[in-house]
Amino acid sequence: MTGFLAVIGARTSELGVQALVVPATFLVVALALHVFLVAVGFRGDQLLLPLALGLTAIGLVAVQRLAPSVLLVQQLTWTIVAAGAFAAAILIPRDLSALARFKYTWAILGLGLLLSPLLPGIGREINGARIWIQVGPANFQPAEAVKVLLVVFFAAYLEEHRELLAQTQRRIGPLPIPPAPYLIPILLMWALAMGVMVLQKDLGATLLFFGIFLAMLYLATGRPAYSFIGLAMLVAGGFVAAQVFAHVNARIVSWLDPFAEELRFGPAYQLVQGLFAFANGGLFGAGLGAGMPERIPVVWSDFVFAAFAEEVGFAGALALLALYLVFVFRGMSIALRAPTPFLQLLAAGLSFIVALQALVIVGGNAKLIPLTGVTLPFLSYGGSSLVTNFVIVAILLRVSDISARIRGS
Amino acid sequence: MTSPPIGLNIRRLTLLIALAFLATSVGVGYWTLDVAGLQGDPYDPRLYATLRDRPRGTILAANGTELARSERGPNGYVRRYADRSLAQVVGHASLTYGASGIEAAYAESLIGQDAADPVSQWRARYLGEATEPARVQTAIVPAVQRAAAAALRGRRGAIVVLDPKTGAVIASVSQPDYDAARVGDPATEEEAWRQVTENADRPLLDRARQGLYPPGSIFKIVTAAAALESGVDPKAKVRVDHPFRADPSWGNYSVKSVTGAHGDFDMNTAFVRSENIYFAKLALQIGADRLEEYAARFGIGATPRCELPAARGQLSISGDLDRPILVADTAFGQGELLVSPLQMALVAATIARGGSLPTPHYGTAVLAPSGDPLRLVEPGAAAQVVSPETAITIGTALVAAVNAPGAFAAGARIPGVIVAGKTGTAETPSGAPHGWFVGFAPAQDAVAVVAVVIENSPKGGEDAAPVGAAVLRAALGR
Repeated sequence: MTGFLAVIGARTSELGVQALVVPATFLVVALALHVFLVAVGFRGDQLLLPLALGLTAIGLVAVQRLAPSVLLVQQLTWTIVAAGAFAAAILIPRDLSALARFKYTWAILGLGLLLSPLLPGIGREINGARIWIQVGPANFQPAEAVKVLLVVFFAAYLEEHRELLAQTQRRIGPLPIPPAPYLIPILLMWALAMGVMVLQKDLGATLLFFGIFLAMLYLATGRPAYSFIGLAMLVAGGFVAAQVFAHVNARIVSWLDPFAEELRFGPAYQLVQGLFAFANGGLFGAGLGAGMPERIPVVWSDFVFAAFAEEVGFAGALALLALYLVFVFRGMSIALRAPTPFLQLLAAGLSFIVALQALVIVGGNAKLIPLTGVTLPFLSYGGSSLVTNFVIVAILLRVSDISARIRGS
Repeated sequence: MTSPPIGLNIRRLTLLIALAFLATSVGVGYWTLDVAGLQGDPYDPRLYATLRDRPRGTILAANGTELARSERGPNGYVRRYADRSLAQVVGHASLTYGASGIEAAYAESLIGQDAADPVSQWRARYLGEATEPARVQTAIVPAVQRAAAAALRGRRGAIVVLDPKTGAVIASVSQPDYDAARVGDPATEEEAWRQVTENADRPLLDRARQGLYPPGSIFKIVTAAAALESGVDPKAKVRVDHPFRADPSWGNYSVKSVTGAHGDFDMNTAFVRSENIYFAKLALQIGADRLEEYAARFGIGATPRCELPAARGQLSISGDLDRPILVADTAFGQGELLVSPLQMALVAATIARGGSLPTPHYGTAVLAPSGDPLRLVEPGAAAQVVSPETAITIGTALVAAVNAPGAFAAGARIPGVIVAGKTGTAETPSGAPHGWFVGFAPAQDAVAVVAVVIENSPKGGEDAAPVGAAVLRAALGR
């Protein structure tokens, strides 16, 4: 199965890549992972890794097509690193459930990572967002790793406090007031999300962190009202921030009317160029390499989807969305079969990360929601994102492996 | 020991995710299938993608002179423009800043993807073939264009000349202008764009079709048409006593006669002496509804149907003439009126051609590389907005307004040709009044209609009339 999709990926690559080095290297990596899984006696889900590799292959094609050539080499290097991280995540935690025991360690580690770009010395501000740290030669976005740590923490924390569900709720008027173990994290997370928006100017991370939290809150409690309250708080906070902070306001104004004279050559230039790319896609697209998506500034990170839609059309874009949906379905079905609430929450939360990221960036490209700088999982250029996503795949596979062994034995 | 509640929640969340993907797919479909009609947008760089690699189509004047053509330079093709005074009409084409004017309106034709030629469109799209660009033929007459640019002599303002028989624009000047070639050239575009966008006089604006001004007395043509069609006898004498106050509710406000007149005026003398009080009384007599209706018929406050974007203007801020003072002021072209020179040229053209309002257009044909017409530009049909009798009565008055002894518009006379026209001196809060002239010649069978506006011109209409005459003379070949 791995080989099958990898071949498809490689074949797609050949259309754009003159040198065979990139597809060949990719094939070796894909095959190595497959052999590796067989060697460790893996018995879990057979579709998730091929899907991830297929998406990564499409991502390599996109980077080759859209980005300066030095980035292709970097992306290929990151793919190898991501494969290494995947293998490590499969091997190292002997007992996945033990992760729950150190939940506050993960929370503190996550918080520290999140704040690290603010530290002088290693913190870097790139394109107006202070979300990078530089260690040696590599720039890294710690927020990517924080997402996974947050999911692990929430899964453990919420599992521990689930039983409170049985308690009767207090209400203020029609509003159910969550019991303190929920209320406090809601408020803390909200404060954290607002902090990320204001201090790091990273709207994408704000949306992701809070979105992940709300989804997991719902998963654990089964009470949509809590999540809606949280959502309303996020919208309210965003609204206030749009009045006060220029960088938030620019995103909102550009989203509402990007074609306004004063915006189309200014803050909304990227979005407008992206919409042009979509519009020139049509049903089947201009063909790989035949479009003009390179007119979109930094297309290889924020606008891969729009560029892809121009060249493969609505049909190709739908197929890509379908790949993500299948990935998320597989992840959720792993969550359904998981033997403990912690593992269920963990797998569902990790799958949700991928779903939410795909939705937020595709929606941003297509002017359905304000544009935020979120990567398209596996596809966008970016090492931190690729490594993180492969770790997510590895953890999901570990969960499915555990379920399979329980059922099998 | 699967815990049922979490399983159920996972299923529900998954369903929500699936719905969100569905909604996103619909949104992606909306843009990729181009429901919004973005393709061909003048700012889409794809329309100018060929700027450097391949020549764009040539833009031609009526006599075949090249107004814009692509020339091979050291860094690929660059666009050369023959006449800077046509900067806003022919426009620019920049990979970064989009295009304007004819370069934008005919962008698809100029890269060889005219809608009339679907085969080359498909070949370009699916086979990646470089089709030869089509040429766009315009109605611009270079001699008239040169005369118009010379007559305005760099004063801020605009001139537009129409062929009344077709509605085609045969000359159009907007000052100040700009160097379109520099905006289109990648080597200079950034600085050139900064210069034109930072210039407070807004050279990118085509004042002839996008500039909005109070019209002043030239609007009396519309008031006269409304009155005549409401049964007013042009020969009937109307008493004029300066200053005019209809009733005590006007308070200190009054309509003033330019000549401080006391006497009886008929329509001809009112046009000759540009008598504000005569037209104010006429408008109050027929009522706001009639004046609003005829303003609408002449296209005042409506966007002209034209392949180049044209400004809409307004009859009043609210769109209605909801108080008597506003009716009276609008009657002689003040109040809250805003019009473009193109709109007023169309009003004059309607009088010149017996009461039907033509549809303005700049292009006349798209020519295939072989030189055969790929398609003719079909302007919309003309609409009969006033009766031929009304048009003749007003035309006669406009002849008097230029040729009668002591006429205000005497500066527009041309020896040996009967010119019909009207000057206007529009008061504006921005300083000296705007000078207007609209007119056509020969009056009995016009070959050219002109509208002139000179911004903040000390003598107003008196400055504009000779400019109009110079342009008409060039159009008549004199």
